Amino acid sequence: MKANIKTALMLILTYLILAVPFKVMSVIPGFTDIRPVTMLGPIYALFYGVPGCTIFAVMNVVMDAVSGELMWTSIPGLIANFVGPFLILIYWKRFAKTAPRLKKLGNILHFSLTLILAAVIEAAIITPWIAILYPNVDWMLFFMTVTINNSLFAIVFGIPLIILMKEELGFKQKGLLRIPDKKNN
Amino acid sequence: MPIILLVKTKSNDIIRGMNSFQANLCLLCVTLCWSTEVIIFSVIPDSVSPFATTCITSLVGALLIFLIFRKRIIDEVSGNPKKILLRCLLLGIMNCAYNLLYLFGLKYFDVSSGAFTFSMTAVVIPVILLTMRQKVDLKTWLSAGFVFIGILLAIAPTASVGQTMGIIFVGLGCIIRAVYIVILNKYANENDPVTLSSLLSGIVSILSVGLWFAFDPSGFGKIPWNDQIIASLAIYSFVIVAFAQTLNIFAQKKSTPANATIIYSTEIIFSTIWGVMLPASMIDKTPLTLWIILGVVMVVIGNLITIIPSHRELQDES
Repeated sequence: MKANIKTALMLILTYLILAVPFKVMSVIPGFTDIRPVTMLGPIYALFYGVPGCTIFAVMNVVMDAVSGELMWTSIPGLIANFVGPFLILIYWKRFAKTAPRLKKLGNILHFSLTLILAAVIEAAIITPWIAILYPNVDWMLFFMTVTINNSLFAIVFGIPLIILMKEELGFKQKGLLRIPDKKNN
Repeated sequence: MPIILLVKTKSNDIIRGMNSFQANLCLLCVTLCWSTEVIIFSVIPDSVSPFATTCITSLVGALLIFLIFRKRIIDEVSGNPKKILLRCLLLGIMNCAYNLLYLFGLKYFDVSSGAFTFSMTAVVIPVILLTMRQKVDLKTWLSAGFVFIGILLAIAPTASVGQTMGIIFVGLGCIIRAVYIVILNKYANENDPVTLSSLLSGIVSILSVGLWFAFDPSGFGKIPWNDQIIASLAIYSFVIVAFAQTLNIFAQKKSTPANATIIYSTEIIFSTIWGVMLPASMIDKTPLTLWIILGVVMVVIGNLITIIPSHRELQDES
């Protein structure tokens, strides 16, 4: 129990470390929605399972509330931020039935494809609400921004971090426990 | 970012380490992180000394890595503290020396040409390895050759006699950086990469204090502290110092100095992309000439030769 609380606190702290500076700093003027924290979604899912997905989704709403951006669309945001990482977890656990090995180009492309599909589904969950509640917002641009944010950072920074955690630091992919690490996936 | 590592569970699994393809991929990610320096620091006024930002970010990065891995670091240092501290001091001095030379050299070039000249390290390193009587394979020479042609194509059309001193400064910087990479590669295989990363950042921070006060004695008071600047320093500390540097040292273990340096040359590609995509308010925009495009293409070819594993390498890995 104590270990679980410690793990949860560390996941929350990691989220804050990556999310807060990017909330404060406008990285590219006129294009504020740069969210590298989205790279943590698949990592939390694969290494910490459903609790990891939940923390990731809840922290997104907490950040909205803290930064004064809590809106009705935060509800579909909460759902989408849970569903995206959860789908990645379910895919590798139930369908691929193997942990993503990321040892060859083929492995990387396979894993990247699941990240892109999850990002598209996340964007598809939130965008209709944006289109209904905020008719002045360009929903197509919003859809693209969410998809790119959620897939690009996970592919470019998330994959190397997964490799580091798994291959060099010996982290177990707890979300995929009892799933064999096949030699050729 | 690597604070996530705090929650590592005790495991008896054997850690096999990344393979060379994964190491190359990680080095590519490291280079991408480094290339974003211009974006992250765009909110910091030019009046702020670069040594000030290096000092602060290295200190925060070093402390963050130490807090996460304190037990591992203490265990490693307690084995032979003098040896590892001297090693990190040597690396720290070399790191400061080549950055100082680059800083002086950059004054003679525009941003684009400067970025290309920095990548001369990829060409210098096979020669350094030869002088150290280390074997350099054909693939590396081929990659270095393409990168060299790329650099020449990009800078030759705008080169002038007035840039001679700049070329000397950058050339010396490249030689020191090449030796630094060779030594770092050796130490990464002999010492714990996390400890190296933390101590190296700490030493660079201490050395930067000296350089900061030597070149700009006004110190802390000159930094216009606000939320944006604190956020940019935090991002740099977490992403570039703590994450990218640690990832770099781990990847160096499984790569060769020559491979690593050739992959570092992709910073040119990323810098060119930022130059095209980002607004002039953020970076000094340079025109995208045919020569620069050809130069970038050559660097890409040089990198593909290095990154894509040959049939023999794939067989060796399996």
